[in-house]
Amino acid sequence: MLSRVAESLFWMSRYFERAENTARFLDVNFNLLLDLNKITQVENPSYWVALILVTSDKERFNSLYNEYSAHTVTDYLVFNKNNPNSITSCISLARENARSIIESISSEMWEQVNNLYHYLQSINPQFVHNNPYGFYKEIKNASHLFQGITDNTFSHNEGWDFIQIAKYLERTDNIARLIDVKYHMLLSEAQRQPEIVEGSEDIIQWMAVLKSCSALEAFRKVYLSKIDPDNILRFLILDRTFPRSINFSVCAAEDALWRISGSSRHRYVNNADRLIGKLEAELSYTAIEDIFSRGLHHYLEDLEQRLVKVGEQVHLTYFAYHTPEIESPDIAEALPFTGIAGGRPNWSQAQQHQQQQ
Amino acid sequence: MSRFFERYEAEANRFFDEVISKDGMPRAHYDKLLHRFGQFSIDDIKARREIVNIFFRNQGITFTVYGENEGVERLFPFDLIPRIVPGNEWQTIEKGLIQRITALNEFLHDIYHTQKILKDKIIPPELILGSQHFIREFVGINPPLGIYIHVTGSDLIRDGQGNFLVLEDNLRTPSGVSYMLQNRQAMKRAFPVLFDKYQIRPIDNYPQELLRTLQEISPNSRHEPNVVVLTPGIYNSAYFEHSFLAQQMGIELTEGKDLVVNDNKVYTRTTRGLERVDVIYRRVDDAYIDPLVFRPESKLGVAGLVNAYRKGNVTLANAIGTGVADDKVIYSFVPAIIKYYLGEDPILQNVPTWLASNPSDLKYILENLGSLVVKAANESGGYGMLVGPESTIEQQETFAEMIVANPRNYIAQPTISLSRHPSFFNDTDLYGCHIDLRPYVLYGKTVTIVPGGLTRVALKRGSLVVNSSQGGGSKDTWVVDE
Repeated sequence: MLSRVAESLFWMSRYFERAENTARFLDVNFNLLLDLNKITQVENPSYWVALILVTSDKERFNSLYNEYSAHTVTDYLVFNKNNPNSITSCISLARENARSIIESISSEMWEQVNNLYHYLQSINPQFVHNNPYGFYKEIKNASHLFQGITDNTFSHNEGWDFIQIAKYLERTDNIARLIDVKYHMLLSEAQRQPEIVEGSEDIIQWMAVLKSCSALEAFRKVYLSKIDPDNILRFLILDRTFPRSINFSVCAAEDALWRISGSSRHRYVNNADRLIGKLEAELSYTAIEDIFSRGLHHYLEDLEQRLVKVGEQVHLTYFAYHTPEIESPDIAEALPFTGIAGGRPNWSQAQQHQQQQ
Repeated sequence: MSRFFERYEAEANRFFDEVISKDGMPRAHYDKLLHRFGQFSIDDIKARREIVNIFFRNQGITFTVYGENEGVERLFPFDLIPRIVPGNEWQTIEKGLIQRITALNEFLHDIYHTQKILKDKIIPPELILGSQHFIREFVGINPPLGIYIHVTGSDLIRDGQGNFLVLEDNLRTPSGVSYMLQNRQAMKRAFPVLFDKYQIRPIDNYPQELLRTLQEISPNSRHEPNVVVLTPGIYNSAYFEHSFLAQQMGIELTEGKDLVVNDNKVYTRTTRGLERVDVIYRRVDDAYIDPLVFRPESKLGVAGLVNAYRKGNVTLANAIGTGVADDKVIYSFVPAIIKYYLGEDPILQNVPTWLASNPSDLKYILENLGSLVVKAANESGGYGMLVGPESTIEQQETFAEMIVANPRNYIAQPTISLSRHPSFFNDTDLYGCHIDLRPYVLYGKTVTIVPGGLTRVALKRGSLVVNSSQGGGSKDTWVVDE
């Protein structure tokens, strides 16, 4: 398959997944505020700053808004076109990538991306404000529908595997960010007000983390009624069967990468396969205590960096248009390269000059 | 007659109306259509309009308008009333186009080899050798089967008497064929009953015919030649068409950066390394196709492609340098070209044309700017054009200066009142809109024309310009057998 087509499949999938995760973060935050009966304090900045930390572009946010509030954070994460990771931007980029390979994907896939794009164009902030639950549900369902359509209308060959790699790398990254931020917040709050740590608010906050991964019910089936942070982290990081855990997602990305190259457990073909294999093997033999002894924040930060490296290697192995046997190194440098923006991998659009016919 | 058509004013004395004849009666081949539309209420029409709009939107059938916000996508305006061409009229068009395209291909072969036609003084040599579309690098090259113009889309119009005339030969990268195909799909969804009443010749085999043509011109005899489409990219106004055709033919859609030339052979870059390419259906203009030969700043092309082509390792469709034959100045010589190479009289006539490079014509043009249509020889898409009767004195003066400064670049034609066809002005009223017809001609081992083409409509009231970039739309075109 053309490298460019593979790359566009990858970014189409990645941006769709990112939009869904952002919708999940926002949805849960609204619910959380309702649970805490703090609806009167909905404008309290401390409940909103976390969402900006998850997406790790605090600087850009501060350059655009003066305060953290339900209104500004929703606007930034849902609508803002200057935020490349807003839901609207993500879906526009997913659509743009889909449009550039419209002949390669199924027409049902295109219709679904296109429908969601037009839906978002028709939505205004007031609508989201009046019915946040309905809006975020719409986004999540649209993403699930897209995945279902993809699984059922698109051949499960190389192209499908690139879609899976992108989806699971993005998902892993998002779960790691979510845990990192929540843990950080609860910890710093505990230091200020030690009595809260064991309180019900803490549990509610952790339940919110589970909910944002649609994991509450699955978690309860494993750990019954014991909702404590250790078990929650064990579930979200190490569980091998839940599709929104880190371990599951890494395994799924690994499977897809190995299918493409023909790598196996004892023999890797390229660096992307090696790095994902190493990550998966470590996760398989890690206990939650190992993570705590290393420090959760450090562990997650390291994980995020390693995911970026896997992404880079996928790019170099399959997408980079550079063919060393033909082109001189300076040509290769001039070719488009996928950049990292705001700590999150982003698609850098190749320059395309207009032409009139 | 139907209620929509009862209120319709054909003005059949001023214009050739496709539906209503001079005596005010509908032409026979439109009887069944008028009867069917007579059964529709305004709500029926609105419902069908909605079916069509949803179809086009879901398919992503849009085009990009320049000069407005960057990348504004619009639905291509579509009129619900089809244009009907009776089988016997189509036969004349088909014969005329085959004759014309065959002669133009001979002309190109001659121009790029012995230039007999110049030596015989049929065409002044300076018109060819001075044309910016005459590509010297391509002299003496033999494309497979000796064919230069594999895909063409001639623009036909009808004059006041209903005669079909050729307005333009588009021999470079004509677009619009995807609209022809999609219009038919949309009409099938919206008017299934009407389809049943006519024997409409099918056009859906166009992509297969195109692929067959492209495979026939492969430079080597590999069992299954690797054919790709080359597009300038997703921001090109015809991108939808490029991807649609690639998808329908089941071949790769490539951009310049997907292709690489090594040792004068062309390859695609894939996730598993390089793959050899035999034929490129390119929708990138000559000027952008190879930065080593043409515009060095172009990022749309492929470095080394022209050399690979010259070596005969890859075939480009259409060939490089075909623009020399669809120049609006050369256009006026096409009847002579047909006579010269085929010894036949042209079946389809030209629109009378005055050349500004010819002193007596120049005088006439400058004296009659207010009644003529003046066109720049190398522009397309309705740009660089003066429509005399609709122009202001200042515009005429500006054009007069430009013509005198560069006479080779301008031609003039009488203002032809294109034939009109009733079209929905909104969903309630019909209005006679000017139309043209662009059939698509494929030239491989044989010349193939799918029966039909793209009927473009000037939907702006009274406008004569049918180009999509100037507010034009389209209609489905039915070639019907009785």
